[in-house]
Amino acid sequence: MAVTAKAATLEGQSATQRPLMNYPLLVGGMLVLSVVFVSLRTYQQFFAWTHGLDSTSVEFQTHWMRVLYLQFALEGVAAAAIWGWIWRTRDRNLAALAPSEELRRYMRLIAWLMMYVFAVYWAEFFAEQDATWHQTVVRDTEFTPSHIPLFFGAMPVFIIMGVSSYLYARTRIPQFAQAHSVPFLIAVAGPFMMLPNVGFNEWGHTFWIMEEIFSAPLHAGFVVFAWAALCLGGILMQAIPRIVELAQTQTQRAVVRPV
Amino acid sequence: MSTAPARAPQDTAVPAEIDPQRVFRTIDWLLVPLLFMVVQAAFHIHAMLTVGDWDFWTDWKDRRWWLVVTPISLITFPAAIQYVLWEKFRLPIGATVCVVGLLLGQWVSRTLNFYGWAYFPLNFVWPATAIPGAILLDCVLMLSRSYLLTGIFGGMLWGVVFYFGNWPMLAAFHLPVNHNGVLLSVADLQGFEYIRTGTPEYIRIIERGTLRTFGKDVTPVSAFFSGFVCVLMYFVWHFMGRLLSTVRFVKSI
Repeated sequence: MAVTAKAATLEGQSATQRPLMNYPLLVGGMLVLSVVFVSLRTYQQFFAWTHGLDSTSVEFQTHWMRVLYLQFALEGVAAAAIWGWIWRTRDRNLAALAPSEELRRYMRLIAWLMMYVFAVYWAEFFAEQDATWHQTVVRDTEFTPSHIPLFFGAMPVFIIMGVSSYLYARTRIPQFAQAHSVPFLIAVAGPFMMLPNVGFNEWGHTFWIMEEIFSAPLHAGFVVFAWAALCLGGILMQAIPRIVELAQTQTQRAVVRPV
Repeated sequence: MSTAPARAPQDTAVPAEIDPQRVFRTIDWLLVPLLFMVVQAAFHIHAMLTVGDWDFWTDWKDRRWWLVVTPISLITFPAAIQYVLWEKFRLPIGATVCVVGLLLGQWVSRTLNFYGWAYFPLNFVWPATAIPGAILLDCVLMLSRSYLLTGIFGGMLWGVVFYFGNWPMLAAFHLPVNHNGVLLSVADLQGFEYIRTGTPEYIRIIERGTLRTFGKDVTPVSAFFSGFVCVLMYFVWHFMGRLLSTVRFVKSI
């Protein structure tokens, strides 16, 4: 009953009253990410120095490897759920898309990109943290207390968000559905490649166990793939003209409208 | 890969119910934080992995390497973002936006991680600032409206002022101390006292050898050399900005 009444209200609500952007959802999503990563950071504070120094110890297995497995499970579920939802609810008739709805979808795309970039921020936070840990503590495993939130936490999360952004654009916005956007592909694929690059990173670290220089050539792969994030400018350059076009057409219609 | 037109023709008839000003305001609210976050995140990753060691620790902030490699590495994103913001939005703030974002990310990390987690004192791990050089770079672009002049004069200024812009923070750490009969700087002493097990002293890349015999001239020579390379790097990264802000579409991947 309540659901029916709510639906009726929404239908009766004019498009002017409908928000162009769902800010509570965007802020809520960013808050969820923040809670997850702040929790991981807090966990590090309590258990990194006490149980995270020796990967052969029982305490390490119980306190750190379980976190790793939990992350893998949650990330798998999140990726399947989000990507599955975006694909299943895709627009199968984009040709009939109303311009006002197209505008809203551009706003939602920017919101998806915000989530993506926010997740990249957390990866950056844990990346520099990785320096202070490994320049201070000698590693004896790739699954260290700083790597678990970084390589296997923040990186998969921003990959999920990046792919979700791309999927959203491909399935709901005509401009991006008709052809592949080159900057979008680079902005998603480049940072994605940081995760496979972890393999090279860990392989290389087996040669330089004791000496840790953070600006070593071994880390250059991460640098190059981070540059790809600059392509976000290209995505915006593709989206903004269309948004302005839609909005300006709106202005022209208002001018010629009979009184 | 086959190329496709930039955008296929679409229906542009917008119903009159959405106020265009509302659209533009919403865009502003979303894009400003979005651009700031992406620049600061990517730039911070770039900085920490190319010149991070010199920036993390005071005892790496020397007169030969730090002031050469840091400006050279840090002029990259400002040059690229300057192109995007000036060319597409006529905003002469690209360099400043980059370094303010970078500094913000660095201070958060140094405070919560280096100090809050690994327990190094903040006066040992404070980040260097490139804000003076960034303001100059943006000013040169705004006044000259020329990428060529910005690269030559702004790039040189960027490299030259880096050390001097940081001097108020750094000076105290370069004071000499006599520690058990050995002459060293306060920064050196910090490095010896706060042990970095994974980064032993012998891999510290700082001034040594004959350049020390230049005495007081080490800093100007290094700063001038840094400025020279910064000029070249500016143009390389200007074109990186052009390349990475492509608006191409392709039909298949």
